[in-house]
Amino acid sequence: MNKETAIHLKNITKSYPGVIANKNVDFQVNKGEIHALVGENGAGKSTLMKILYGIEQPDEGEIVINGSMETINKVETAINLGIGMVHQEFTLVPSFTAPENIGLGQEPKNSKGLVDWKGLNKSVMDIAEKYGFKVDPGLKMIDASVGVQQRTEILKTLYRNANILILDEPTAVLTPQETDELFNVIRTLVNEGKTVIFITHKLREVMEIADRVTVMRAGEVQGVSETKNTSITELASQMVGREVFLQVKKDESNPKDEILNVENLWVHDARGLLAVNGVEMSIKEGEIVGIAGVEGNGQTELVEALTGLRKASRGKIMYLGEDIASSTPKNIRRKKIAHIPEDRTNTGLNTQLSIWENLIGNSYFRKPLSSKGIFNLKKVAKHANKLKEDFDIRSPNVSLKVKSLSGGNQQKVVVARELSEDPTLTIASQPTRGVDIGNIEAIHEQLVQMRDDGGAVLLVSAELDEVMAVADRVGVMYEGQIVKWVNPKEVDQSQMGLYMAGVTE
Amino acid sequence: MDKFSFKDVLVTFAGLFITTLVAWVLITSTGNNPSEVAKYLYEGGFKGTRNIANSLYQATPLILTATATLISFRVGMFNIGINGSMYVGALYAGWAGYKFTNLGHLSHVTLCILIGMTVGALWMLLPALLRVYAGVSEIISTIILNFVAVLFVSYMANGPFRADPIAPATARILETAELKQIFPNSQFNTGFFIAVIVAILAHFVLNKTTFGYELRSGGDGLVGVYPSRFSSYLGIPSDRSAIIGMLISGALGGLAGAIEVLGAVRYFFQELEFNQGFDGILIGILGKLEPIGAIIASLFYGAIKNGGFFVDYKTDVAREIIIVLISILIFFVSAQKIVKGLEKYPIVKKLDSFFSRKKM
Repeated sequence: MNKETAIHLKNITKSYPGVIANKNVDFQVNKGEIHALVGENGAGKSTLMKILYGIEQPDEGEIVINGSMETINKVETAINLGIGMVHQEFTLVPSFTAPENIGLGQEPKNSKGLVDWKGLNKSVMDIAEKYGFKVDPGLKMIDASVGVQQRTEILKTLYRNANILILDEPTAVLTPQETDELFNVIRTLVNEGKTVIFITHKLREVMEIADRVTVMRAGEVQGVSETKNTSITELASQMVGREVFLQVKKDESNPKDEILNVENLWVHDARGLLAVNGVEMSIKEGEIVGIAGVEGNGQTELVEALTGLRKASRGKIMYLGEDIASSTPKNIRRKKIAHIPEDRTNTGLNTQLSIWENLIGNSYFRKPLSSKGIFNLKKVAKHANKLKEDFDIRSPNVSLKVKSLSGGNQQKVVVARELSEDPTLTIASQPTRGVDIGNIEAIHEQLVQMRDDGGAVLLVSAELDEVMAVADRVGVMYEGQIVKWVNPKEVDQSQMGLYMAGVTE
Repeated sequence: MDKFSFKDVLVTFAGLFITTLVAWVLITSTGNNPSEVAKYLYEGGFKGTRNIANSLYQATPLILTATATLISFRVGMFNIGINGSMYVGALYAGWAGYKFTNLGHLSHVTLCILIGMTVGALWMLLPALLRVYAGVSEIISTIILNFVAVLFVSYMANGPFRADPIAPATARILETAELKQIFPNSQFNTGFFIAVIVAILAHFVLNKTTFGYELRSGGDGLVGVYPSRFSSYLGIPSDRSAIIGMLISGALGGLAGAIEVLGAVRYFFQELEFNQGFDGILIGILGKLEPIGAIIASLFYGAIKNGGFFVDYKTDVAREIIIVLISILIFFVSAQKIVKGLEKYPIVKKLDSFFSRKKM
């Protein structure tokens, strides 16, 4: 392999008030390699990439691109140097097609000074063909799947002549099939001479796709290794600074009385289409029931119906012998049902509010936090700080806005709040999405703890590994129904893959 | 919202400094002497009992309209219709001021104020209901209602409520309905204290009560917009918060109008012109959407405004210059990024992290 250096970030230090995000970081990427950058949330990966992409300026350190020292003080400079970044949250105009999005800001002009749409379409299609992308030039992004949107983002960087592509957690939003397609794309890119920096939490993907991997923890580089000379366990321990167990430690479940019984539940989605048609399920105290399945098979609507956020069209939701199908979220919460929602930033949190204001969302009305409608702010602070300690929310103080926290720490605020009021039933939907390994482990342990304390847990997750490791019983959801119930110990992943595709026999 | 940090103080002073420079250039370019203008601005705003009293009088409605606006912003409603509430509140407080006779002073004043507040609140009920149940943007409906309010009160003063055969005006309010003026030759009146108490009360309710928490759960920022999924997820009906927030907001707007009529003008007439509802939006933002901030910003604005009258009277500079200055000031104070350039200095960093450390 060509060992020429594409990027060398030397001795990068960057601090924000109260936090050192990068400390003497040395990060080197060879030309033509797939280089994975892994680390927990808040380890400094994003900061490092923002520095490389010109969004942030380092306090100290040098940036060397293709052998020459560069000052990248704005994104344009980075783009001109051939660096392209695909952010976790896409920056596409929904009402535009792929070529329109790709050309936006760099539209080719014809002789009359107008946009040369034909030329744009052609150059986009040429690039797409060269790298083996399938592009429908007439499809608006609002109608495109997440995978297609992501490919459009990648094409956008290629259209701007990027040679070095930074992909920020590209698989977080993809289904397994889409992930495979993405990996093919990445391999084609590298074969065509591009360099790819791949930011992720998922160590299995690192082993599958990357040539080399840099591990960061607490703003410092912990190690650089070739993937063929390392292992998941080794990387994981570098990431969190201790041995981690990718398996969830738990005893046999000991289910007792039935807590929840769902009978023939039908739910329509926001567009009025039938999303859940005839779900049957039962959850007992002392067990974790998992729902696996490719996203978009009715899991979202099922959870919304159970938590009162969406009205069921038909069927019963019996909770401790009482039908809560037409109950309000407030009454459902008062009956000690906790809900960790899949949409963290809009539903689970109000990021404009402070950490403490988010932490008391399910307890603000009770003593001693408030009495006769007036807060006892000392008690509130005590409560919030205790949760901050117990759930290891990393922030200088609880008065800061949730907006200022990293994704994983935001999720810890949600989990801390939901588990704090001693729920009888905990409904956790994608509880570890975008969360790093150390915190995934902690959240899993907390769910198992809820179970061992006699609670019932419903875990809905698109991460098959997660459902299989944490749940005691797993239902596979496909097209609005639970098509198969399995014991996770007795079934392998390929079998599960078939069930998830709707093949049950 | 954020509490005030050192950075905010720095931004405010940087904004004041830049505004002064711009004003200097502006006034010089019109052929006037800026130091003379500055002198009269200061004297008009702060020198002598009468000027101070007048400055406080100017601040009175602003405290209420700014608080009214920030309350609706913090429940997630972008309400810019407080001027309308102020008009209808003023009209009906004035009407109650002459209509009800044989009442004691306290009960008559209280009745007039309550009627003004109720009418102001009802004025905001329509945009709130339209937003919640029909999805009509409150921005559009409140803008329209501002125009409607002007035409409506003008019609009422000209028609049904007209008492004066020569001018389109209502009857003068009875003495029992008057808010007392304290200093001779100044319209400063006891309404000022009502305004301050109401703003402090708003601070308490918003920040220290569960009711305020429920109201704010869906918004609490210039970007937080109803309807909030966070609120409904917690089981707090955000429809209710939005409607209640708008009603409170409208009631405070009505109160501002009521105080203006009961304390200063003493009757309602067609040409009575209010713009404090619009100024209140700027002042609310200047005060960082906190009622205490709104009080401080209103006092400042009131003094500058009164100084502006003085400048107008003493020099060739029109008092409209003040509006220009205030606009420039708000422009720069909102420009948080000015301070970003200063962040690289260690002393600024240190002070900022020191001041942003809080008890919790």
